[in-house]
Amino acid sequence: MISNFIPGLIMIITSFLLPIIPQYFRHPAMLLSVGLSALSLFNGYGTFLEWDILGLNLILYQSDSLTLPFAIIFHIAAILVIIFSWHSKNLMEHMATLAYAGSAIGALHAGDFFSLFIWWEATALTSVFIVFAGNTNAAKDAAMRYLIIQVSSGVLLLIGACLMLYQTGNHNLAVLDLKTNFGIFIFIAFGIKAAFPLLNGWLQDSYPESSVTGTVALSAFTTKLAIYALARTFPGTDSLIWIGAIMTAFPVFFAVIENDLRRVLSFSLNNQLGFMVVGIGIGTELSLNGTVAHAFVHIIYKALLFMSMGAVLYRAGTTKASELGGLYKYMPFTTIFCIIGAMSISAFPLFSGFVAKSLIMSSLGGMGMVLIYFILFFASAGVLEHSGIKIPYFAFFAHERKNKVKEAPINMLIAMGIAAFLCIAIGVFPKYLYQILPYAVEYQPYTLDHVISQLQLLVFAIIAFLFLVKFKLYPSEIRSTVLNSDWFYRKMLPGIGKPLFKKIGLLTDSLYKNLGLSFKQVLSKSYKFSNLSYIKVTTPSFAGTILISILFIMLVIVLV
Amino acid sequence: MKKNDLKSMGKSFTKYILIIGALLILLDFTFHRHEYFSFAEIYGFPAFFGFVSFVFIVLLGKWLRKFLMRKEDYYDQ
Repeated sequence: MISNFIPGLIMIITSFLLPIIPQYFRHPAMLLSVGLSALSLFNGYGTFLEWDILGLNLILYQSDSLTLPFAIIFHIAAILVIIFSWHSKNLMEHMATLAYAGSAIGALHAGDFFSLFIWWEATALTSVFIVFAGNTNAAKDAAMRYLIIQVSSGVLLLIGACLMLYQTGNHNLAVLDLKTNFGIFIFIAFGIKAAFPLLNGWLQDSYPESSVTGTVALSAFTTKLAIYALARTFPGTDSLIWIGAIMTAFPVFFAVIENDLRRVLSFSLNNQLGFMVVGIGIGTELSLNGTVAHAFVHIIYKALLFMSMGAVLYRAGTTKASELGGLYKYMPFTTIFCIIGAMSISAFPLFSGFVAKSLIMSSLGGMGMVLIYFILFFASAGVLEHSGIKIPYFAFFAHERKNKVKEAPINMLIAMGIAAFLCIAIGVFPKYLYQILPYAVEYQPYTLDHVISQLQLLVFAIIAFLFLVKFKLYPSEIRSTVLNSDWFYRKMLPGIGKPLFKKIGLLTDSLYKNLGLSFKQVLSKSYKFSNLSYIKVTTPSFAGTILISILFIMLVIVLV
Repeated sequence: MKKNDLKSMGKSFTKYILIIGALLILLDFTFHRHEYFSFAEIYGFPAFFGFVSFVFIVLLGKWLRKFLMRKEDYYDQ
């Protein structure tokens, strides 16, 4: 029976039962549900559950060599998040987190675009509560924006799926290209969740606003689900190589000047996704293995870094670099775990990032793509800058701290300890990671050439940092907002839209007034409608109106 | 004493990193480092590339502040 149960569904069911489970048993129950769901990992490959409904054949549960590594790491991430949040009593967040992780795992096992759409929206609807759990006004606003963007991605996916069904009679997950209109819709839908350049604003906007524990959960699933979906449907799509390269390079500049360290990590997350997208774009067995391996190790070290910053936020009350520093004395374990995460993401030899990134770099080198290769090499120096140095340096060192704080709670240390252990274990014994990758490829990351080359890059980048600090060229931390692509819908569109709608409002108002005058004798009450409050009601939702209009126009263009 | 903790840590860290850096460059002379692209095989190329990239990223990022940096409450206004 359990073999036909959709992986992740048990977690969603458990999440709904959490309110009736006593406080002390909630976390064990959550862990148990993840464990039960993880039994599906031993089912092997195949199609296990289909459902005929409304003349459609939905493949609800299928598994193959691409799903398995993602399913394994999603379960591991769920366990880490649950342990990390053991101290928390926030029921809503626990429910949302468990259902979100379950939805993401369910999505991996969908075999057609309609089932994928359902899970796609489920991850959006569950995760918005995690952003919401930040419990500040900023978090609530960010959650609403997040929801609009995420749901839009789902709507685009649905349009693509419908068009595909209409035009080809097929809706199963398959390799698509950008020559078809439905391919483009699905590509953009995935691109939003994968935080493509200019579609990335939601990520840096929402993740840092969530709670101490929420950001850890958010960092693991949504974007990597998009990477999985891209790897399944668009491997070898050339444009992804450039999109990915831009993603690796651009966020590093933003990360340099961002003050909120959790936002720095969100830019860093974006940059990491770039490496994976490049791997999908190349589309060879080696590069796709690289993408999957990178997603796998990335989830662990990114969760570790977000956990360490979560612990800092929990104890010191902020993650703003301008307010932090000197925590190494009070939070020594957190410091060590953070440095392990930092060294992993920077791809130091013997850490997990190295054995994964090497696969993508080697496939680029093997194909002779010199420019992309060096963009990624350059971006590697950028990763070291913001995640390798900036995060640990400003949080734990930089300058002495005046007031004492306590070390992170034991459950946080355990979660960070497990993640740190995995980072090193995978780095030292990469063959276990390579065994679960989709394609059987013989690969040896630890060659002398490769190790020396990478160490030279990293060590001299650190020397550059010391040099810049010594000569006071390193930018000081300033409390500030750094503009990002969310500016377009948070400032520019309201800037154009509000006056425009006001003008239209005034126009209709005067029209109503004139009409009102002419018909005053007949319909004296119609004057009420010309009241300006009508406009006030419509203006706040103009962003939504514009979004829907754009979607509608796109649909019309495609259909015509 | 307390105040010197970070400073002395920084100093010894700098010392070790410089030693490691020097060793890595020296190692380059002891064997032929194979790379995918021949110009990357020049002695110390990754070191040079890492140093220059890092400085470039930081200085360009700093310059971009002029265009990208706003007050903390920018979106609340």
